[in-house]
Amino acid sequence: MRQHNLHFYLKLLVAVIAAFAAVAVSCCLGSSNVTLKEVLLYLSGNKDELSKSALIIIEKIRIPRAFTAAVIGGSLAVIGSVMQGLFKNPMADPSVLGVSSGSALGASISIMLGLSGPIIGGSITGNYIAAIIGALVTWIIVFGIARIGGEFDPSSTLLAGIAISSVTSGLITLIMTHQKDSMEKIYMWMLGSFTFSTSDKLSVLIVSAIIFNSIIFIFAPRIDILKLGKETATSLGVNMNVSLGILMTAASFMLAICVANSGIIGFVGLVIPHVVSFFRINKARQKAIMCFFVGAVFMTVCDIAAKSILNPGEIAVGAITDIIGGPYFLYLLLKNRRVRR
Amino acid sequence: MSIDVKNLTVSYGSKKALDDFSFDFTEGKVYVVLGPNGCGKSTLVKAIVDKYAKGNIAYVAQETLGIINLTVREYVELGRYNPKKFFGGLNSVDVKKVEDAISIMQINELEDRLFDTLSGGEKQRAMAARCFCQDAPWIILDEPSSSLDVKHTRLILNIVRDLCDKENKSFIIVLHDINDAVKYADKILLMKDGKLIKETDCLTTEDLTSIFDTQFKCINSDEGSAYFYAL
Repeated sequence: MRQHNLHFYLKLLVAVIAAFAAVAVSCCLGSSNVTLKEVLLYLSGNKDELSKSALIIIEKIRIPRAFTAAVIGGSLAVIGSVMQGLFKNPMADPSVLGVSSGSALGASISIMLGLSGPIIGGSITGNYIAAIIGALVTWIIVFGIARIGGEFDPSSTLLAGIAISSVTSGLITLIMTHQKDSMEKIYMWMLGSFTFSTSDKLSVLIVSAIIFNSIIFIFAPRIDILKLGKETATSLGVNMNVSLGILMTAASFMLAICVANSGIIGFVGLVIPHVVSFFRINKARQKAIMCFFVGAVFMTVCDIAAKSILNPGEIAVGAITDIIGGPYFLYLLLKNRRVRR
Repeated sequence: MSIDVKNLTVSYGSKKALDDFSFDFTEGKVYVVLGPNGCGKSTLVKAIVDKYAKGNIAYVAQETLGIINLTVREYVELGRYNPKKFFGGLNSVDVKKVEDAISIMQINELEDRLFDTLSGGEKQRAMAARCFCQDAPWIILDEPSSSLDVKHTRLILNIVRDLCDKENKSFIIVLHDINDAVKYADKILLMKDGKLIKETDCLTTEDLTSIFDTQFKCINSDEGSAYFYAL
């Protein structure tokens, strides 16, 4: 028992170190060269010793981008682990509630109407705000449907989410075919990218990540209890409707911010929770915390690949997560089938 | 502390699964609920948990749905979950109770296996262990032995009897085996069509025929207790 916890903390320590290492490396790489020493000087507060150009590159481009990738990767993985746990379904991922496609619809409408310019500050654009509004509207619709009959039922919530997703995807296609000019912009937005990360957006992202992920970490043990079914949960003093409501709401809000920030990035939320359970971390809270750091490492590495492979060009990070994540996942799956029983 | 069930009605659509059920379950007894498929036994125990559980009832459902993804040990530990402790893990008392429950249900060797990879009977033993490590004075078991072999059926029902006799725990158990019910129950509740037909501590073939629509015969076993079999 104690030993098991010790193992968890060791694994967590490795993941945390890896996450910071990946972020530091990501800060060095890009279209112009910055050395690791310069990055470390910046992060340790010795900004005076840096050349002006290095300072600007690190502060305005590299740090926002690297941290955005890490926080989004981590949060998507946490959301994925919550969804898989609540729906008791290994194929669930952040998109199951339809919140991300609702968000995409919001952004598409804004792109169609030409609201892509900045609205608040230098970088909170119309697309960003529209994406959040889109996500909230879908969230209200899905939960409204799921609550009919007085209580949350995970499977009808899941189905409502799928139905809403297909409606929104249909509407997005409609917009793209109607307005051919917007098509490329919408398509790029839907693939996901960290290219336009700024420190303003990063601060919104970090504050939301701290709030919503903390709520998830605090209530995560209830995910395990809810797996036992409604009555057993009641007998252990856990109210299923309240717990599901809190966890799904926190996860949906976090997802809305993530999608508004950098578009729809697939695969992370599906795969990382499985990667974490391959390392024999099963309890919901430990799993969620571990997912955050493993997701951060994974996304940062994918982003490094996205900006380095075609240097000075870029590949959409969503494509990289699929290309790197898919084979790794298959490898783990095969290895796991031999070991697990 | 007794559970005084009053006028409990549960409907699925227009069908009443439980029709105005009232019964005062007094503490320190083993109640067994008998009845044909679909007569509302599971609905009854679920409704009791729903309405009367305030940390005083431990409950084991008939089956586990979906992927649990926990080891048996972690699964049993859920029985010690306390919603008021946001951060604390298990203390030494919790660990002791978990280990005791694991060893009385004889699942020590399964501890590190994933719950989902267990056989039906092994799952039922883990579910019972989870429930036995809870502190609740009442324990409700919904067909706890439906997938168990003879040896483990005896094991779990003997534990029930022991907990009742020695620690004054109270039980409501849904069973299918009439003779297990006769052997282990203090009181047998007979149900049909969502209604309580009869409560008895001495079952007769007429009672059984009236709820199961099947002829029964009773013989006296070597130990002197009644043994029922369907014709």
